[in-house]
Amino acid sequence: MNKETKTYRKGEIPGIIAINTRECKGCDACKRFCPTGAITGMFGATHRVDADLCISCGQCLVNCPFGAPYETVDPVEQVAAKLADKRTTVVGIIAPAVRVAIGEPFGMPVGSLVTGKMYSAMKKAGFVILDNNFAADLTIMEEGTEFIQRARHALFGEKAEHGGEIGPLPQFTSCCPAWVRFVETNYPALIPNLSSAKSPQQMAGAVAKTYGAAQVFKAAPESVYTVGIMPCTAKKFEASRPEFQSAWHFMKEKGGAASSAPYPDIDAVLTTRDLARLLKKMKINLAAENDAEGGTLFAEYTGAGTIFGNTGGVMEAALRTAYVVLTGTPLARLEFEAVRGLKGVKSADVTLRDQKYGKDVTVKVAVVHDIRANIRPIVEEVMAGRSPYHFIEVMNCPGGCINGGGQPICDTGSSWIGRVLPSFAWS
Amino acid sequence: MSKNDPSHEFMESPFSLSRREFIAIGGVIIALLALPAVWVRSALINRNHHIQARTKGLYRDDATAKIRLSHENQAVMRLYRDFAGKPLSPVSEELLHTKYINRMKALS
Ligand code: SF4
Ligand code: SF4
Repeated sequence: MNKETKTYRKGEIPGIIAINTRECKGCDACKRFCPTGAITGMFGATHRVDADLCISCGQCLVNCPFGAPYETVDPVEQVAAKLADKRTTVVGIIAPAVRVAIGEPFGMPVGSLVTGKMYSAMKKAGFVILDNNFAADLTIMEEGTEFIQRARHALFGEKAEHGGEIGPLPQFTSCCPAWVRFVETNYPALIPNLSSAKSPQQMAGAVAKTYGAAQVFKAAPESVYTVGIMPCTAKKFEASRPEFQSAWHFMKEKGGAASSAPYPDIDAVLTTRDLARLLKKMKINLAAENDAEGGTLFAEYTGAGTIFGNTGGVMEAALRTAYVVLTGTPLARLEFEAVRGLKGVKSADVTLRDQKYGKDVTVKVAVVHDIRANIRPIVEEVMAGRSPYHFIEVMNCPGGCINGGGQPICDTGSSWIGRVLPSFAWS
Repeated sequence: MSKNDPSHEFMESPFSLSRREFIAIGGVIIALLALPAVWVRSALINRNHHIQARTKGLYRDDATAKIRLSHENQAVMRLYRDFAGKPLSPVSEELLHTKYINRMKALS
């Protein structure tokens, strides 16, 4: 750790994932899941992660049969200390994919939807709830509006309302920090195509420390401690990006809290595994909790927000809203089956009438997951200017965030690795 | 990943022993070479089971939700009304949008 790195800026955590040399058997399984070829080391020899190439997705971690890769950042103690401090409002920002996985370490069946139990357990631990599904809905408003603006600009020459620049098509989604870093380190020419919308986690942090502090938590922004609870190891990296102190900048311009030291929008990120450890440490058995309500304005979310955790979910949510905004008429059927499922690249055409311009347009969208296997042809097409698509959703992890690098594995009690291990000859 | 996790400890010693044996016996090395392929295949089957179960969980959350469209989220609408104005407004741009950097410059 802490070697010299070239693809990180000051303040960023250089590499969330490292390999424990004592545990690594050099079996090469991790290399087959790594999207960037960041893992070096001969077969049979100890492997290591090249942090400059690594995008912190954690796929090597959840797929190693020996549990050798580990996270270099473990904020469980720090969050526990904040929870014990009564002067701090600790906001738990819960991603969609956590609610269908956090039951597993507590012995519940795979895929159990436990939103109510999770709220209850987290409130008992001392968290105030900000459901990241709320921020996902907010993301759709921003990213969907941005897409409509880009499309109308490309098709009808519409100008930006505030005179700013309008990005090109296709627009890529930007919710997945591993994908964003993949673009930044491999295809920087495509940066203008990335949606400028922050990920839901970062929107949630910025909102919690501005509007949230003033209107919902009724606390000074300095005493609001935001904890992302994510299925994702790359979110730990994302939170450390230096530009994500926007709430602090905003409050400073407003003249409030001028003297305070800069604070990040997101103070700490717990993976689903980390949250399970935290709850167990506090002797809270999530499985035994009764369903509770979130209890704050920020716990309100829609079905569109919750499917963000699945591959195709962001696109489906965006289409639902974009359709209504563009046509002015409600959708007859909300489900877009074409973007669901586990096919590597899914695509769909949606023909609709833009009421503002009175013209029919056909929006072509694509959904890509599992970057390692599926992204190269898509980006090469865009680079060559031959892409047929207008809007492309990308999630690094196969299946989307529900299979993220921060999700439960065998050592928290119940994931698929545990079931496979006994089939090995030497076990 | 805790180091004293029993499931890993219990993997650790027998395997490092057998690794030394493997180096002595050439034939076993070939078996070991085939290992990741077998491992990856069985892992993928189990992984897909997990992916499908969790995916279904979220789609059920959507199907049973009272409101299923982001622009009908009343809390989001209130945030715009009381604070941010509307999507892509100056406040939205400042707090909800960002910029990216070219990390390749540094690499080369
Ligand atoms: S975290 Fe992802 S990118 Fe980094 S080494 Fe592991 S699989 Fe590769
Ligand atoms: S797909 Fe989701 S879990 Fe995986 S790296 Fe991207 S944001 Fe994280």
